[in-house]
Amino acid sequence: MENMENKVARIPGLVDWSTDEVRIQSAKCNSCGTYFFPKEHYQHKPGCSREGVEDVLLPNKGKLASYTIQHYPCPPPFKTDKKITPYGIGLVEFEDEKIQISGIITDTDLKSLEIGMEMETTTLSMFTNEEKQDVVTWAFRAVK
Amino acid sequence: MRDVYIIGTGVHPWMGFSEKIFVDFAAVAVEGALKDAGIEWQKIQSIMAGIFIYGGNAGHLSGQYLESIFGETGIPVVNVYNACATGSAAIRMAYNSVAAGETDTSLAFGADVSPKGFLTAKSDNAVQDRDVIRWKMAGQPNPIYWALECTKRMAKYGTTDEDLARVKVLMSEYGSKNPDARFKKVYTMEEVLNSVYVSAPLRLYEICPVSTGAAAVIVTADKELIAKANNPVKINATTMGSALYGDPTIRISAVSCPAVPEAPMLSESYCASQKAYEKAGIGPQDIDVLELPDNSSWHYLQYLETCEFCGEGEADKMLRDGETKIDGKLAVNPSGGFSSFGEAMAAQAVWQVVEAANQLRGRCGERQVKDPKVAMAQTYGLMGNSGTTIMSI
Repeated sequence: MENMENKVARIPGLVDWSTDEVRIQSAKCNSCGTYFFPKEHYQHKPGCSREGVEDVLLPNKGKLASYTIQHYPCPPPFKTDKKITPYGIGLVEFEDEKIQISGIITDTDLKSLEIGMEMETTTLSMFTNEEKQDVVTWAFRAVK
Repeated sequence: MRDVYIIGTGVHPWMGFSEKIFVDFAAVAVEGALKDAGIEWQKIQSIMAGIFIYGGNAGHLSGQYLESIFGETGIPVVNVYNACATGSAAIRMAYNSVAAGETDTSLAFGADVSPKGFLTAKSDNAVQDRDVIRWKMAGQPNPIYWALECTKRMAKYGTTDEDLARVKVLMSEYGSKNPDARFKKVYTMEEVLNSVYVSAPLRLYEICPVSTGAAAVIVTADKELIAKANNPVKINATTMGSALYGDPTIRISAVSCPAVPEAPMLSESYCASQKAYEKAGIGPQDIDVLELPDNSSWHYLQYLETCEFCGEGEADKMLRDGETKIDGKLAVNPSGGFSSFGEAMAAQAVWQVVEAANQLRGRCGERQVKDPKVAMAQTYGLMGNSGTTIMSI
């Protein structure tokens, strides 16, 4: 079990690891049914009353809708302690919620990537901050 | 509404990073446009300026800084930003001002100096500006977005590595014939296919970099100025579009997109082009020359479909069959495209109109399309920005 007290998201409010499963923090409009991420970036169907928006957690698992392999380091403010290139970026589809989320692919053989494969949400350690905390982002990995 | 004509165009050739200031580049393009139109500065009755976002106060008020160089005349000066479609917005406002009779002659321009190094986040407030999230959390520079769509396309339509490389080969051939282009080397298939991956499946030569450049267009409804102009070009329509709800494209700066399409891909560009076709009474089948935004090889293919020059998944065949060559059914990017120029954000959409207009005016030398009558310039800006201009002679 990871030490949760010592783990902090680089930007809060995007990924939740408070339970056994790591999940993306999305929001849903109960009037037009649209899910959006990040939850501050509202998206509604034209004509929607925009009433009844609630925070929701996406399921832990989804399917790979597309991917790319990034061969040069992402410029700042992106920051990692270790070199991570080449790294995968996946677009993971959450079918019932009708939303695709992009994120770094971790802990997965990049050669095995294939559209349609099952992926799970996880966290990726990017660097250690001055408080010696593990600074993380959301990420996806192939379901083993 | 009055008929509006392009009577003057000007360009500062595209280049890499420069220590010179953006307004100096703008002045070269505007000077060129004034000379081409054969008019004095005082004839300009409004200025629609694309802003230079990295230029601080001066860049955000680029029109005022430009006006001061040529001499302040008290005319309306409006400064506008629509990402890479900024120039489309400037031209549209110039057109509307003249067509509506607010002014008789208007100047639209944009100038941009490439930032040193990479484009990156412009604020540090992740709640307000989603762009911060993609840089800090997701590690997603712009080509990632194009690559994600390109991977989908390859799986769906069978686009090959060779198709992606073929775009660069063709664009480099045309760019080598354009004195204003930044990149003039002609590439072979082998060289492109051997270039390093940036965001696989896209390789180094299959994406465009950021550049420095400036472009200007003078439009008028003044009958005297039109009569004395050298091959004036009629603007049949100049429109802008934003995205539609349910567009499945993952837009630059986003970290999510709809999984179930309820609108066409690149819906902002679809909307801009459809409005232009309708307004001009001109359809894709009538266009002889097309300048499209080939930010990557994927864009080149996708835009042919988005703007309905062919059906979905058919662009690769058009390219393979030579239909998009200068001597083909539809001359696509005879300028050499962004592939040979790179993006100069505030300037590029104006430049696309300049290139298209110059084709109609028969000024393009070795890359001239034979006797074109109708041309279209199509732009693409991040977060749902697009403009379409249809011109004829």
